[in-house]
Amino acid sequence: MSGRSAWWRADVVLKPDEAAGPETAPARLSEADTAYLASLAPAAISRYQRLNPLTKATLATVTTLGAFVLGGYLGPLLLLVGIVLPGAIAAHLLRRVVRVAVLFSLPISISVALVSVFTRAGSTVLFNLGPFDATLEGVDFAAQIIVRLFTIAMALALFGLTTEPRAFVVDLERRGLSPRVAFAAAATLETIPLMVERALAIQAAQRARGLDTEGSLSARVRGVLPLVAPVILSSLTEVEERSLALEVRSFGRPGRRDLLWTLPDTGRERALRWLLVAALVVALVAPLAGVMPRLP
Amino acid sequence: MASKWFRVAVAVVVGAVTLVVGMAAAGSFDTTVDPNTGLVAGSNAFMFVLAVALLLAFIAYAGVEFATTRRLDSITSQFDTRTIVLIPIAIAINIVLGQTVGNALKIPLYLDSVGTILVGALAGPIPGALTGLLANLIWTFVLAGTPFGSAFAWPFAIVAAEIGLLAGVFGYYGFFRSRPNTSIPTLVGGVVVAGLILLGLAAYGVLPFYAKGGFTFFGTNPTDSLFTIIAYGIGIGLILALVALTIQLFVRRDLGVAFIVVAGAICGVISALISAPISAFVFGGVTGSGSDILVGAFQQAGSSLIEAVFQQGLLQDPIDKTIEFIVAFLLLQTLSRRFSARFPQGERAVGMVEG
Amino acid sequence: MLVLDGVSYRYPGYARQVLLDIDLTLGDGEIVGLVGPNEAGKSTLCLVLSGLAPASVGGVLAGTVTIDGETTAGLKSYELACLIGLVFQNPNTQRSGVTATVFEEVALGPVNLGLPVAETVERTRWAMAALRIEELAERDPARLSGGQAQLVAIASILAMRPRHLVLDEPTAQLDPEGTRLVAEALRDLASTGTALLIAEHKTDVLARICQRVVAIDAGRIVLDAPAAEGFADSRLPAIGVEAPAVVRIGAALGELGVAMPEIAP
Repeated sequence: MSGRSAWWRADVVLKPDEAAGPETAPARLSEADTAYLASLAPAAISRYQRLNPLTKATLATVTTLGAFVLGGYLGPLLLLVGIVLPGAIAAHLLRRVVRVAVLFSLPISISVALVSVFTRAGSTVLFNLGPFDATLEGVDFAAQIIVRLFTIAMALALFGLTTEPRAFVVDLERRGLSPRVAFAAAATLETIPLMVERALAIQAAQRARGLDTEGSLSARVRGVLPLVAPVILSSLTEVEERSLALEVRSFGRPGRRDLLWTLPDTGRERALRWLLVAALVVALVAPLAGVMPRLP
Repeated sequence: MASKWFRVAVAVVVGAVTLVVGMAAAGSFDTTVDPNTGLVAGSNAFMFVLAVALLLAFIAYAGVEFATTRRLDSITSQFDTRTIVLIPIAIAINIVLGQTVGNALKIPLYLDSVGTILVGALAGPIPGALTGLLANLIWTFVLAGTPFGSAFAWPFAIVAAEIGLLAGVFGYYGFFRSRPNTSIPTLVGGVVVAGLILLGLAAYGVLPFYAKGGFTFFGTNPTDSLFTIIAYGIGIGLILALVALTIQLFVRRDLGVAFIVVAGAICGVISALISAPISAFVFGGVTGSGSDILVGAFQQAGSSLIEAVFQQGLLQDPIDKTIEFIVAFLLLQTLSRRFSARFPQGERAVGMVEG
Repeated sequence: MLVLDGVSYRYPGYARQVLLDIDLTLGDGEIVGLVGPNEAGKSTLCLVLSGLAPASVGGVLAGTVTIDGETTAGLKSYELACLIGLVFQNPNTQRSGVTATVFEEVALGPVNLGLPVAETVERTRWAMAALRIEELAERDPARLSGGQAQLVAIASILAMRPRHLVLDEPTAQLDPEGTRLVAEALRDLASTGTALLIAEHKTDVLARICQRVVAIDAGRIVLDAPAAEGFADSRLPAIGVEAPAVVRIGAALGELGVAMPEIAP
């Protein structure tokens, strides 16, 4: 048995008793096994999806941050046309990405438009609606924000639709993310749909008993509470059993794990990631240093 | 525990120094309006400096601990298996409550931090902060293509982290404990103290933002009819809520309610201060929820964008956070002591377990 | 060999001793059944045997727990995981929730141990073969029947090749079909050489596989005998444990004056 060791130091390797179970020589992966393990990784249906998840994440992040840093109209549009659209086309997902992005940004765009157009202080009044004036400055401001938000929504939709979350977590763990954090991130993804299923089941049961989930505010509050409480409480009371079951499977052992499957990463992708980050830094620093003018 | 206070002191000093230096380097945080974007010129710089200061403070804390003990026990001890199992469930609670209850009820409440507060109280400040951070990031980056995603949650990750951090600190000092059957004198004394704290918060943390530009709460300008109605509505709602809470307080004689209201109000004010520049800078002061009407109304009454967002936030966030803290408080009371006591901070948070 | 010597245990924050002065020895490859009424301490004994109490659950343990002569005191839960395995009742909470196929789910234990991939694959295949669930390899672990899920849970512990495997009421939450599946699997498991301790209410399940039976009541061991005599012992019904059908039928026939031949387990 190995003793205590500091968590960041070399692996704690535990040697289970080899006398139990069939006697075999130290195993080597057969070709069939290698192929089987490779098949466990999520299938990629296009060249874009075959990219390493970190590359796709970098693209999304750089686009998002760049949309803020560059500001104005030209910057986000350049990012949209230069990064997001080619990616969406390469992934054969253009229509879905646009649909998801519009779905996301539409409600907030309408709010932005209403609030900014009518209440921003400005000098050029376009028209009046009751006590509110619509100003040109308001329209301009709203348009800039909407373009920026749409670009971000597109970038994130592209990332969400082309990346398997589990694959992303596995890749991060290969790069050094702690297995426990990787577990927490991956477990969240299963928990949410499960909680929703449970909530829907309880809602159906409540409705069968006559509890109202539509109607006045107080009725809605009274309808939601008996729904929310059991879902949350049942999830929480499971924590004890789940954590014991995990500990029995050696969860929390310090050190790296040898994962069943990983995703490839090429030198070209690595170069691309560094290039993107560098471009973002330049875009951030250049206007401050006066080298680059603010884009319209 | 002397070494722990030393570490915290070092962290606070480092954070404060960074904040001052950073603000001096970036230009002071003034309210001059940038004509291009309508935003306060210094707001994004301030947020950046604040984030860097917090990060350096955390690194200083960890660095001092590592230098003195060669381990990071006070941080890693907060992360045992139960915490790791709780975090995904708490994140799911955040997202499910935030998406459904917040949207279905159509009231200007977020209710997306109850899980974060639970983790903070039970496991500690660091897991709480991590839960908030992860929840917002996952909400956006991982759920982006699904009906449960929100493309616009990620900028508020730092606010969510701050909520978790505060919940952890409050939990450490027992703010989540139920104290039923306190004697009447202590109860009255506690309520008075809590009331004074809330008044102090309002006077120094909230009202200065409303005093700028000569703006009063119930405007007398006749074109402000819409806003006056909203203001009256909020005022009445607040008074009703306070009455209900006071009744609960006296029926159960549970002083814990006073503690939790103070905790929620403090957290709300701090959250509003941090999230306002984010909201103004990222979304132009609009978050797609009922609060946008408030922001618009404040702008109509003469405030700049950033001022309006602060005013809206300082009205809405303390109420929302107090409600969320109370929900977490009630949840902790409902869950068995056996459940809570096994968490790293569980016994401190919920009180000693009976034999 | 797993030895409990004078073990008493109480949970954290509670004053009551749940286990009192337990002496128990589990030999290598031995199949033992654990019976007792509700709240007798069966689950607690399972937690103590596996080391989770006090390593993970806390509490105060008096006496010694040794495996092959070395004490388990002070070992962390992840160090104990490859010595003694523990299977719980609820198949849903034992599912990790982070794997997409049963193969990955069973392999999770060995992967957590840090074993190289080749070794992991070999152990996974062995464990799944031992429980006859190879055809479930591609299935989604969240979409299995109760009995299948429980078999996957047992396989995922077995894949770590513990020297002793403790099962705490593995069929408690299963329907009759699931119970049958698990009971048969446990029978096959008995031949692999892993020592088994199965805590159960359903003594019929135990009667067919166990070589030895231990009864616990109010925290103390009241019976420790070879299966044939143990299950027929009158102390079992006295403490509220229903004897296996074989024994009950034999007793009823005996009252009618009909002798029943010895039925080998």
